[in-house]
Amino acid sequence: MLGYTVKRLLTLIPTLLIASILIFLFIHLIPGDPAAILLGDSATPEDIAALSAQMGFDKPLWQQYLLWIKNVLHGDFGNSVFFKTPVLDVIADGAETSIFLALMTMFWIVLFGIPIGILSASFHGGWIDQITSGGAMLFASIPTFWLGLYLILIFSVGLGWFPSSGFPSISDDGGLTNLRYLILPSLTLAAPNAALIVRLVRASMLDVSREDHVRTARSKGLHPARVSIKHVFRNALIAVAAAFGFTFAALVSEAVVTETVFSLPGIGRLVVQSILRRDYPVIQGVILFIVLLYLVINLLVDLAYARLDPRVSLQ
Amino acid sequence: MTVRATIYSIFRGRKLATFGALWLCVIAIAAIGAQFIAPFDPLEIDPIARLTEPGLPYLFGTDHFGRDTFSRAVYGARMALIIGFGSVIVALVCGGLIGLLSAYFSTLGHFLMRIIDVLMAFPALLLALVLMTLLERSVLNTVIVIGIVYATTTARIFFGMTLKLKNEVFIDAARCSGASHSSILFKHILPNLWSPLLVQASFIFAFAQLQAAALDFLGLGLPPEVASWGNMLAEEKIYITRAPWLLMFPGALIILSVFSMNLVGDAMRDSIDPRFKNDIAGV
Amino acid sequence: MQCGTALILGLKTILQVCSVALLELDNLNIAVASKDKLLPVVHDCSLSLAEHETLGIVGESGCGKSLTALAIMGLLEGSQVKITSGSIVFDGQNLLEMKPSRRRLIMGDRMAMIFQEPMTSLNPVYRIGDQIIEVIRQHRRISNQGAKQRALELLELVKIPQPEDRINSFPHQLSGGQRQRVMIAIAMACDPALLIADEPTTALDVTVQKEVLDLMLDLQQRTGTSIILISHDLGVIAETCNEVAVMYRGRIIEKARTRQLFSHMAHPYTRGLLASIPSVVTDTDWLEAIPGRVPTIDEQLSGCAFHPRCAHTKTSCSQTEPPLIEVQEHHAVRCHFAGEI
Repeated sequence: MLGYTVKRLLTLIPTLLIASILIFLFIHLIPGDPAAILLGDSATPEDIAALSAQMGFDKPLWQQYLLWIKNVLHGDFGNSVFFKTPVLDVIADGAETSIFLALMTMFWIVLFGIPIGILSASFHGGWIDQITSGGAMLFASIPTFWLGLYLILIFSVGLGWFPSSGFPSISDDGGLTNLRYLILPSLTLAAPNAALIVRLVRASMLDVSREDHVRTARSKGLHPARVSIKHVFRNALIAVAAAFGFTFAALVSEAVVTETVFSLPGIGRLVVQSILRRDYPVIQGVILFIVLLYLVINLLVDLAYARLDPRVSLQ
Repeated sequence: MTVRATIYSIFRGRKLATFGALWLCVIAIAAIGAQFIAPFDPLEIDPIARLTEPGLPYLFGTDHFGRDTFSRAVYGARMALIIGFGSVIVALVCGGLIGLLSAYFSTLGHFLMRIIDVLMAFPALLLALVLMTLLERSVLNTVIVIGIVYATTTARIFFGMTLKLKNEVFIDAARCSGASHSSILFKHILPNLWSPLLVQASFIFAFAQLQAAALDFLGLGLPPEVASWGNMLAEEKIYITRAPWLLMFPGALIILSVFSMNLVGDAMRDSIDPRFKNDIAGV
Repeated sequence: MQCGTALILGLKTILQVCSVALLELDNLNIAVASKDKLLPVVHDCSLSLAEHETLGIVGESGCGKSLTALAIMGLLEGSQVKITSGSIVFDGQNLLEMKPSRRRLIMGDRMAMIFQEPMTSLNPVYRIGDQIIEVIRQHRRISNQGAKQRALELLELVKIPQPEDRINSFPHQLSGGQRQRVMIAIAMACDPALLIADEPTTALDVTVQKEVLDLMLDLQQRTGTSIILISHDLGVIAETCNEVAVMYRGRIIEKARTRQLFSHMAHPYTRGLLASIPSVVTDTDWLEAIPGRVPTIDEQLSGCAFHPRCAHTKTSCSQTEPPLIEVQEHHAVRCHFAGEI
């Protein structure tokens, strides 16, 4: 287990290296002089030259890359052009919001996605299945921002139940009750993802229910609900866990939009704003951070996978 | 099997998927005949009739410039098809080729798939956003960017499916009878992948709509003057409290079209070779 | 007084000799729901099985023998396959009129089944001990410890080496033969009155086949359970069964006591089946095969189901379907010319 984890961690290094090259190239392929873009229209040529020298833009591309990587390895992602503070601090500021948003979203996804998926598969072909699996597909077809806007219109503007935007830190006044700011955003974010989980649980359960061992379980005289949960769902969970890593990438995409709709001070909105502000050090840092997170989550999924499926040995 | 028999077998007994296919036909008709169907010029500004409620002559009301929402929605259908078909072509051509070649030539494949795996670690929208900053906001660029984003998953899927086929006996047989690489790839392997390809295309078509709308909403998609459903939502979002219907119509159009395409894709997936069923990641 | 005792004794013997059958299938018809119509797959299947007896059902794949077994076990529910008419009487109760909840009390307890595919018939994510304990605790009021003790006994009974270790194994850690032994342990866990074995040895190596069959017969000796053994292999049936039913295209075409059947095969299909088994005793270069192929279920055939492949076909064979007639006591054949050929 430990040996496997270490081995897997080592394989992350080349992946991260390729990712960092790609991120670096993306940013430096942008047409125009980066120093000129950073300084805006009113900058004088002398200012631009000075900034170029300061940021290292006048050096060859590969030297710039090595310099960046060297600094990153020392924990220095550079300074935000917009905030004038270290990139790492900027990311850390957004982390609290994004982490709480992610946790609450996961809560809704598990709360709704899994039971509805089981229900749908258990009544396969019946009206419950048609409504739930059709409904899930409908929810997966709704643009996240559109759902968010109408939730704000109904529950914030109309009924006044929840605040419509922002998120004060839970260390501020109000403490944990500040989490109510995240209820609508997390529901918005959870809707399409829970819908995917419903479809996934349903499809995997239907696959498993055709396997021979389910017939064995039924021949034992077990109650159909017990067969469904203990035998079919337990095996379907293996496939669901395997797909979970990919769900994370979709979740981040939608978090970017959701945080923008609800003006949440999270990492997702930071990305969009940095892109609009052309704040390259922040863009580079955040994307590298998200890729790293994606890889770590997939590693954790693999470890969980081995626990779920005794046939998989971590060697 | 004839085309008619295939279509019949896909939609038989599937009321929802049939509805989806019909709705897509409606969208296609609106897109093709937009200039005949739309009662007004989608760009014509009428400052007197700002934020009119739905009724006559403005079926879906007007936006804050006084433009007719219905006419814009009809032209939006045209943009939806352009985005959908464009991204599908880019994704399938790039992704399909990469997947096919990587599976067939394993040395090259090892390298290419490594890059694809890394790209898949970038969340789709983020990749699209970054790529969009490199390019001008234009219809063509949006199509290319969304296509590239989905080329990664497509390449992965085709890689897997080609690997399965590569080990089949009939490929060995073709190789033994002296068939060239290109003949094996394009005459023996590719024809077996047409139907999974079509299913994958329908899901890309659906996702591309959502992705394009999200890019429009964040202000990094189609140019603002283009009448697309995403732009209609993006421009009118601040008027949601004053004129809630303004976001209702384009939103409903996106949802219905994506939903329909997903339904059709789902129905088609059930009719393809069961070996490939789990390769395709749809809804 | 003495006379009375003698009478009672006599009655007892009579009762013992023609004891009430444990299982009676009467004119069972099974059909597959396909598109809008029902395709019949098992026609008028009547069978009976007394206690402690072993009944073999033999036939080619697709002849309806497995569906009959699943129908008896009650595993067709929720599938495309429906029982259209007939009755299955077990222990004096008609299973087809029973509520599902009552039926489940019998499944796994009084009646158990082992399947063809030992590799996939056990749940891959649970330890084999837990899979045995599950069925015990489903039907017996017993503590987890007690059930575990019973599971150990069962593993020992089915001759799994080192049961204390093996009880914690996952199915993938066992060989095919061992997994089938575990399946037998699960089936025998509640001392069933009826054990249905659907091709229990087909997927196993030849050497293991014999061991598993011997194990089943050994367990039958100890517990007195009745067995229905389904196989496509007449040799296996001949070795293990008291009675044989031969099925072809969903019909029983011959049934008899095993000895009777092998000394006098009345149906041309049964003979063909025997002739197609290679023999090691006589040295032949030529292996007999039944000409033609098994027609698919949706092909409509009039008359005798076997007539297109039969060497003795006469005109009447393609016109009327022969009934199942007794040619001897305990020996019934579905052929117009059973006595003659």
